[in-house]
Amino acid sequence: MIVKIEVIAAPGCRKCAGTQGELRAIAASVLGEDRLVWREVNVLKEFDYAVSLGVLSMPAIAINGELKFSSLPTPEQFRTMLTTLESC
Amino acid sequence: MHTIGKVAMLAGVSPDTLRYYEKEHLITPASRTNAGYRLYDDQAVRRIRFIKTAQHCGFTLSDIHELLTLKQADSACCEDVRSVAIEKKLRIEHKLRALQAMSRALDELIQGCAGGEATTDNCPILAALENSLHEVSR
Repeated sequence: MIVKIEVIAAPGCRKCAGTQGELRAIAASVLGEDRLVWREVNVLKEFDYAVSLGVLSMPAIAINGELKFSSLPTPEQFRTMLTTLESC
Repeated sequence: MHTIGKVAMLAGVSPDTLRYYEKEHLITPASRTNAGYRLYDDQAVRRIRFIKTAQHCGFTLSDIHELLTLKQADSACCEDVRSVAIEKKLRIEHKLRALQAMSRALDELIQGCAGGEATTDNCPILAALENSLHEVSR
């Protein structure tokens, strides 16, 4: 099953830049590159989409169209979430 | 230096509002008289106007405290302020959608009722709300 991970943030977000690469690498290691769709959503360009996801703060992370984190998770939290998905 | 009454008048707020802002750590008097009365400088007037304008844009006093903290923080940049503004816009949009949903629900209730002199026992709006309550409690 393909897992779509979306990071919703404002362009130029300093908090996101460093951490996103690390989170993406974790997602690739847990899910495998072939099952991962990673998308960075510019909140200003896709404002309605962000609102429909329920995003109130940034950066937020949605997995398969469902808001899972309303701020950047720690690598451990993110890995745990992905592992939970895997066991479902 | 201005007294609380003078600075309140200059900024277009009441003295009680200034005391409340002080309680919320948004503004502090520059000094006090020997008798303990608050004294404010011109910067206070600008700060109060900033607070009022931010409130007009939908920012809460807590948001404004964050904005003022960012304004004074050396490590903060314009991007940080922009993020606060975007998050405020997201919250406003959520509220708007919730209000629109409420408005649509009220439209349905209003359309289902012809009004008139019937007793409230036969009021379709009250009946619909009553039925919804039963559905919720099931």
